[in-house]
Amino acid sequence: MKRLLLFLLLITGLQIYAQDKHTISGTIKEKRSGEVLIGASVYILELPKSGTVSNAYGFYSITAPSGVYTLIVSFAGFKQDSVKLALNKNISLSVQLDQALQQMMEVTVSSKKRNANITQPVMGVQKLSVNEIKNVPVIFGEKDVLKTIQLLPGVKSAGEGSSGFYVRGGGADQNLILLDEATVYNASHLLGFFSAFNSDAIKDLTLYKGAMPAEYGGRLSSVVDIKMNDGNNQDYHANGGIGLIASRLNIEGPIVKDKGSFIVSGRRTYADLFLKLSRDSSIKNNSLYFYDFNVKANYKLNDNNRVYLSGYFGRDNLGFGGTFGIDYGNSTATARWNHVFNSRLFSNTSFIYSNYNYNIKINSGTNNILIKSKIEDVSLKQDFQYFVNNENKINFGFDVINHRISPGIVDASGTSSFNPTNLPVKYALENAAYFSHEISPVDKVKLNYGLRLSSFSILGPGDFNSYDSAGNTIQTRSYTSGTVVKSYINLEPRFSASYQLSENNSLKASYTRNVQNLHLLSNSASTNPTDLWIPSSPNVKPEIADQVSLGYYRNFHDNAYEFSAEIYTKTMQNQIDYKNGAQLRANANVESQLLFGKGRAYGLELFLKKKQGKLTGWISYTLSRTEKLINGINKNNWYAAKQDQTHNMAIVAIYQANKKWTFSSNFVYNTGNAVTFPSGKYQVNGQTAFYYTERNGYRMPAYHRLDFAATLQGKKRKKSEGSWTFSLYNAYGRENAYSIEFKDDPNDPAKTQAVQTALFRWVPSVTYNFKF
Amino acid sequence: MKQVFSKWSLIILPLILYACTKVINVNLNDAAPQIVVEGIITNTPGPYQVQITKTVNFDASNSFPPVSGASVRITDNGGIIQDLLTETSPGIYTTHTIQGIPGHTYQLNITIGSQTYSATSTMPQPVTLDSISFQHTSRVNKIDINTVPNYQDPLNVKNYYSFTQYVNSRKIKNTNVFDDRLSDGRYINVALRTDSAYINIGDTVLLKMNCIEKATYDYFYTFAQVAGNNNFQSASPSNPISNISNNALGYFAAYTTQSRKAIAK
Repeated sequence: MKRLLLFLLLITGLQIYAQDKHTISGTIKEKRSGEVLIGASVYILELPKSGTVSNAYGFYSITAPSGVYTLIVSFAGFKQDSVKLALNKNISLSVQLDQALQQMMEVTVSSKKRNANITQPVMGVQKLSVNEIKNVPVIFGEKDVLKTIQLLPGVKSAGEGSSGFYVRGGGADQNLILLDEATVYNASHLLGFFSAFNSDAIKDLTLYKGAMPAEYGGRLSSVVDIKMNDGNNQDYHANGGIGLIASRLNIEGPIVKDKGSFIVSGRRTYADLFLKLSRDSSIKNNSLYFYDFNVKANYKLNDNNRVYLSGYFGRDNLGFGGTFGIDYGNSTATARWNHVFNSRLFSNTSFIYSNYNYNIKINSGTNNILIKSKIEDVSLKQDFQYFVNNENKINFGFDVINHRISPGIVDASGTSSFNPTNLPVKYALENAAYFSHEISPVDKVKLNYGLRLSSFSILGPGDFNSYDSAGNTIQTRSYTSGTVVKSYINLEPRFSASYQLSENNSLKASYTRNVQNLHLLSNSASTNPTDLWIPSSPNVKPEIADQVSLGYYRNFHDNAYEFSAEIYTKTMQNQIDYKNGAQLRANANVESQLLFGKGRAYGLELFLKKKQGKLTGWISYTLSRTEKLINGINKNNWYAAKQDQTHNMAIVAIYQANKKWTFSSNFVYNTGNAVTFPSGKYQVNGQTAFYYTERNGYRMPAYHRLDFAATLQGKKRKKSEGSWTFSLYNAYGRENAYSIEFKDDPNDPAKTQAVQTALFRWVPSVTYNFKF
Repeated sequence: MKQVFSKWSLIILPLILYACTKVINVNLNDAAPQIVVEGIITNTPGPYQVQITKTVNFDASNSFPPVSGASVRITDNGGIIQDLLTETSPGIYTTHTIQGIPGHTYQLNITIGSQTYSATSTMPQPVTLDSISFQHTSRVNKIDINTVPNYQDPLNVKNYYSFTQYVNSRKIKNTNVFDDRLSDGRYINVALRTDSAYINIGDTVLLKMNCIEKATYDYFYTFAQVAGNNNFQSASPSNPISNISNNALGYFAAYTTQSRKAIAK
C-alpha cells in the first residue's frame, strides 16, 4: 500500500512538471471492421523522437508542446495515415486505418517508425497476427497459432504435429497461455494435434521468451498472450472453412454500429463420422471429436468507457467402445472495463474465470468407474497505464487469483473393484502487485525497469503431510478452513535496456526473474489431458527462474528486413521430476513421489525476417543447451533435458505470385531430443529386460521436414469471396522417429530389436474458406 | 489402473494417423557386465532356487552367462534357520531344508569373489483366490479374452499381488502386479492384461496368484516398464527398484502362492 501511495505521489509530481504540454490520445482501429489495432505505431512527424505504440486495447497517448503537427499512424499491412492538427489543448483522436492491398505494400512510403524493433527496450518478444500466419503451411490444413510459433527461434515443438512447445529450455507447463487474459490450462485438442485456439477468433498473439513485462507472472519460461477479435462493428459478416478434418464458422457484426460489436466462432472436427461408416462395431462405437466456441462482445459506453465480455468453451470427447471414455476441456470467461481517466491515464479492470476439467468413464466387467478432476480460477486484475510524457511511461496494477484444484473424485459402483475416493480439494490464493517504468534517460537509451511482488498462499482446510526420503509420511498437520498453511512471497525484478547504435541497429540487454507456483505432473511421453496440476505446498517450493539476455538488432533495406541475434542464459530452481515408478494417479500423497533439483539453459538465437515484397518469410536458427540436475536421478549428475536440441532451424517462405495464387513452404530441422536408451540386457522371470546406465545419454535421430501449401483466391465478388488452400505436410515423406522402443524380436526369441515408430508421412489436405 | 489409463492413447492414435514402424539399428554403448539375482522363497514346500546371471550387451543374443562358484545363504527370522545353497547347475543355487512360512522374514546373502550382496524379504499372509473367470473385449477385427482373478482383498491391510498365467501349460511372458491402494477391502475382479499373448476359447488357463510384499511389488511394477515384451515402456526408463544391495539387478522375494485352473470361454 505504501508503495502505491509513493507511486501516486510520483505520478502527480510528474504531471505538474508536464503541464505546459498537451496530449493527443485515442484508439486506433481498422476502418472496415472497427477492430482495434494492437501495437500500431504513432508518432509526430515534426518531432522525430516522439513515438508510441497502441496498447492491447488500441489506446495510444502522445504528448507534445503546443504547435501544429502531423500525426503519423502506421501498422504492418495497413495504409499509413497522417492527420494534421493544431495542438493547443488535450485532443482526443481516434484513427482508422485501411488495409493495404498486396501491391501497395511494395510501394508504401517507408516510415522510419517501422523500426520499433530497434528502438524499444523489449527483448525475446515475437508478435504474430493471424494475417501473418494464415499462409504458413500446417498439418491437416488447420492454421494454428501455437504450431506457427514453433517456427520461431527459441521455441521447440513438443513432438510431431504437437501444439505443445518448450521455450528456452523450459518445460511444457512453464508457458503461461492467456486467452483474453484468462489462463488456459490445457491449450490442446486431440492429444495435442490441434491447439485449443480457433484462428478465426484470434486477432493477435504475443510471445515473450524472456524479459516479460512486470504485469505478467506465474510461469517460468514464457508468456503467450492471445487476443480474440472484437467483431466487426460496421457490418454483419460470416466466414468459415470446410476442411478434411474440421469445419469452422465465424459470425460477427455490430450490436450498435460504431459502438459495439459481437463475434461468435465455432469449430468441430468430424473424424468420428468416418468411424461410423465402418461395419466393425469395435470401430463404429468409438467417438473422437472436439469442438470449441469463442464468443466476444464489446460496447463503447462513451469516449472514456468501454466494456468487453469474452468467453471460450472447448471440449474433447474420446471414447473407445462402451468400455472407456474421456471428455475434457477448458472454459474461460473475461469481463473487462476500459476506462480512460484522462488523456494520459488508461485503466483496465478484468474479472476472469478459468476452468479446466476432465471426466473419465471406465466400464470393464463389473468395474464401473467415473473419475472427475477440475482446476478452477477466479481472478480480479487491475492495470493502469500512465503516459507521463513521451519519454516516460508507467504501468502498475495488481491481480488476485483464487485457485481451487480438485485433483480427483473417483466414483465407483458397489460391485467395482475400486473404492470411491475423494482426493482433498486444494485451495490457494495467488496475489501480485507490479509496476514498471519505461524511460529514456538520455538520447539513444531506453530503459524499462519493473518489479513484481508475488505471493502464493496455500489455504486450509486439509491435512498436509511431510515425508521422509523413502516417501513415508512422517507427520500430518491438519488445518481448518481459511487458515494459511504456507505462504511464499517473491520479488521478481524485470529489467531491460536498449541502446541505439544508429538509425537501424541497436544493442539490448535484459534480466528477468519469474516464479511459478502451479506445477504440472506428467510422467508420460507426451502431455496427457489427465496430467495433474498441483500448487506449491510445504513440500513443493515455488519454481524460480533467472534469465539474462543480450541482443543485437539490425534492420536492412529500409526496414524491409529485420535481423536479430540474442544470447541468453537461464537458471531454474526447484525443478520437479519423479521417482522411479511414481504413482501420480489418484494419489493423495502424490508429493511423496517427487524429486527436486535445478536446471540451466543457454543459447544463441538468430532470426532474419523479410517483411515486404512478393516474397516474405523468415529464417530462424537456435543453438542451445538445456540441462537438469535432480537429486536422485542420473547419480546426481547433470544431464541433458529431454527437450535439449543442439541445433534447431526453421525456414518459412511465402510467395505471392499474383492476385490469385499464394505459395508457401516450411522447412524445419532439429537435433533429436535427448533420450534414454539401454546399454545392456538381462533376464528376470523369463522375460528380457533392459539395463540402463544413464538418463538421456542418447539422441533421437535428427528431425527434418518440408511442407508446401498453395492458396487459390477465388474471384472477389461484391459480397462474397472464397479461397482454396491445398497443403502437403512432410513433402518428401521423411520417417521422423516419434519413438524408439526396445523389444523382443517376435521372430527370434534369442534376439532383441529396436523399433522406430514414425507418424505423418505425406499428409495432404484441402480446405475451402469462404467469407460473405 | 495405470494400464487402463495408458491404453487409450495408444488405441486411438492409430485410428487417425498413418503411423509406420520399422526395425532400425541403434548404435548403443557397451556396459560392463552386471550381477543379476533372482531369488524366491514361497509357502509351498521347497526346494527353492536362487539364480545368478550377468547382463550382456544389447546386440548380443539372449543367452545370459551364469555366475558359478558363489556362496549363497538364506536365513530365516534373524538366523535361527540357515540354509547354505548348493549350485545344482551353472548359476542355479538350490535350498535344502528351509521352508517358507507367512509372516517370517528371510535374508539372502551372496558372496561372489570379494563382493557381497544381500537382501531381505518378509512373506505376507495369503489371500484366497476364489476362482478365475474370463472377460471379453472387442478390439479392431478381434476379441480379446482376458483372465479375471476373483478374490476378497482384506480390509485395513496393505496387500500386493502378482499373477502368472500359463495357457495350455505355456507360461505367458508378462508381468502383472496389483496393489490395493485404491481397492482396500473390495472384492476384486480386475482383468489381467497381456502384452504379447492371446487366449482363445477352449484354452486351459492356469493362474498363479502370489501375495507379495511392497518391495516385490515395486520391483515388478518398475520392471514391467523396461521389459522387452511391454507395449507401455516408460518415457524415462531406469533400472527397476531392487531390494538387493551393492547395485545388483534383480530381486529376492518371499511370497505366498496358490493357483486355479479353468477352460477359457
